[in-house]
Amino acid sequence: MAAVRFTGVDKRYGDVVAVRGLSLDIADGEFMVLVGPSGSGKTTALRMLAGLESISGGEIAIGERVVNRIAPRERDIAMVFQDYALYPQMSVFDNLAFGLRRRKVAKDEIERRVRGAADLLDIGAYLDRKPGQLSGGQAQRVALGRALVRQPQVFLMDEPLSNLDAQLRTQTRGEIKRVQQEVRTTTVYVTHDQVEAMTMGDRIAVMNDGVLEQVGTPEELYERPANRFVAGFIGSPAMSFFDAAASGEDGGLRLRGEGIDLRLPGLPPLSGELSVGVRPEAARLWNGGGHGLAGPLRGGVTYVEALGRETFVGVDVGGARLALFQEGRIALTPGDVVDFGLVPEGLRFFSPADGAAIAVPSAERTS
Amino acid sequence: MTSRRELSLTYAILGVFSLIAVLPIVGIVFTAVQDQGELAAFGTFQGVHLDNFADAWRDGNFGSYLRSSAIVTVSVVAISVLLSILAGYAFGLMRFRGAQVLFYVFLLGLMVPTEAMIVPLYYDFRDLGLTDTYWALILPQIGTSVAFGTFWMRAYFRTVPRSLVEAARLDGASSWFTLWRVLLPLARPAVLTMTVLLFMWTWNEFLLALVMVTDEGLRTAPLGLSFFQGRNQTNLTLLAAGAVIVATPVVVLYVFLQRHFIRGMLSGAVKG
Repeated sequence: MAAVRFTGVDKRYGDVVAVRGLSLDIADGEFMVLVGPSGSGKTTALRMLAGLESISGGEIAIGERVVNRIAPRERDIAMVFQDYALYPQMSVFDNLAFGLRRRKVAKDEIERRVRGAADLLDIGAYLDRKPGQLSGGQAQRVALGRALVRQPQVFLMDEPLSNLDAQLRTQTRGEIKRVQQEVRTTTVYVTHDQVEAMTMGDRIAVMNDGVLEQVGTPEELYERPANRFVAGFIGSPAMSFFDAAASGEDGGLRLRGEGIDLRLPGLPPLSGELSVGVRPEAARLWNGGGHGLAGPLRGGVTYVEALGRETFVGVDVGGARLALFQEGRIALTPGDVVDFGLVPEGLRFFSPADGAAIAVPSAERTS
Repeated sequence: MTSRRELSLTYAILGVFSLIAVLPIVGIVFTAVQDQGELAAFGTFQGVHLDNFADAWRDGNFGSYLRSSAIVTVSVVAISVLLSILAGYAFGLMRFRGAQVLFYVFLLGLMVPTEAMIVPLYYDFRDLGLTDTYWALILPQIGTSVAFGTFWMRAYFRTVPRSLVEAARLDGASSWFTLWRVLLPLARPAVLTMTVLLFMWTWNEFLLALVMVTDEGLRTAPLGLSFFQGRNQTNLTLLAAGAVIVATPVVVLYVFLQRHFIRGMLSGAVKG
């Protein structure tokens, strides 16, 4: 096992910059998720680490060794591909054994490791089958097993769950996490799905447009997003935003915007134009006030998303669209007008100019 | 869903075209087994006379012609298939400087017809002292076959999921090993189809053989058939028997490989 270090890594295709100045330290044994929308450079970063793409600038090290000019097969890494990339003409056993045979591992050791991985992943019954005879979930586990038997320094996973149906995805998510915790191999996992990132990663690196936006634990990213992009990307439903002019008033904060006038006594006075971020759980129906809600604000219902245990309500306030969270069900239909309030300590503030988070000293928070 | 009427119309059209394609072949085969004395009209039938083939074989010296054809065709196809796989692999899956330009050079070989290069080729081979040898038949045909084969195999290798090659690389396989053990087993339909096509074209090559060799012992089957025709203007039956003899090897190969051939032709056209 080994740590992985990206230092100022660039990837350019002609004039197109796919990855710009990526610096990222991944600790030994850590499960690091690279997450971002399509074209954010996350897969390119992974492929550079694998050696499948050349590095245009900067340095990548696995352990103490800089691997920029080292062939993929000498990097001692194993990768799980999005389409699994199992060798179709070989049995599952041969698929698992392929890398070991190439590395001249002794026959009984191959047998031992393949059986071990098969047990761990519960694929022992399919060892004689060809990949074409496997279901998506089974093929996925075989792909995982092929990486596992190699006992590499680092696992690389490129959206390994995206070809599975929703239920299987949730199940396999847990399985990959369990296996990783068992073998404690450093893992770099690429996904565009923030739910996968949040549930699997020890830490998450959010990328956008080839740039690393923020690295942190799932909790850090959720609670203290570094900028508007991260705030909007992490969390489901996403954080909603409205623009407001801030001023200090009565030792608290006053926000005024289109259809919005809020006094937030517990918050430090800020000034100037702000972009205010609200997570759904920090926006609730007024119901007579109280519960520490600031408000009321009034808006028209645009959609109602009833999930059974909880309901999300979209509300239009002066052109800004906010999502409200409510436990259980509520009898609302689009077009209704509702009063709601915001939880002051749940608000996040960003600069409208560059989207950077404006820090609110936590000591002054009421929470 | 197609309606019943549409379906019968489709079959009717297909039937007509199949008939147009098959009728001459059936005619030749029927003529070949007819009584030599009866110069019957094309298509009539009076008993089977298989001894026509033996007569044609002897009179036409087809033993020698077929041997020459076999030597030339097997050499050309074997070497071309090997080289085409290697070149197609490079062009299809490897990134290297000048790949594009080099590939167009290969395509040039596909675009220039034999008729256009036969004269300079003859003088070149004469200068090298290679006319009237098998080399004069084998080398130029390897050139044109590899042009097509590279084009064909490159197209195939482009359809292979890249991740498969990358997985093999990460697993520690060399490019050579990846080609033979990972990719080629999957490429069987494409390779066999290419083999059938190259075999057919090489076997049927006429002009090159006509220009390059004068030695009777080196003449290939199509050339031999043409000379045989010259000598047997009137004996249609014997001529047809000769034609059947010359065509048989290609037909036999096709029948053996047809399952793969059709799969190879369709690969990429329909989702497997």
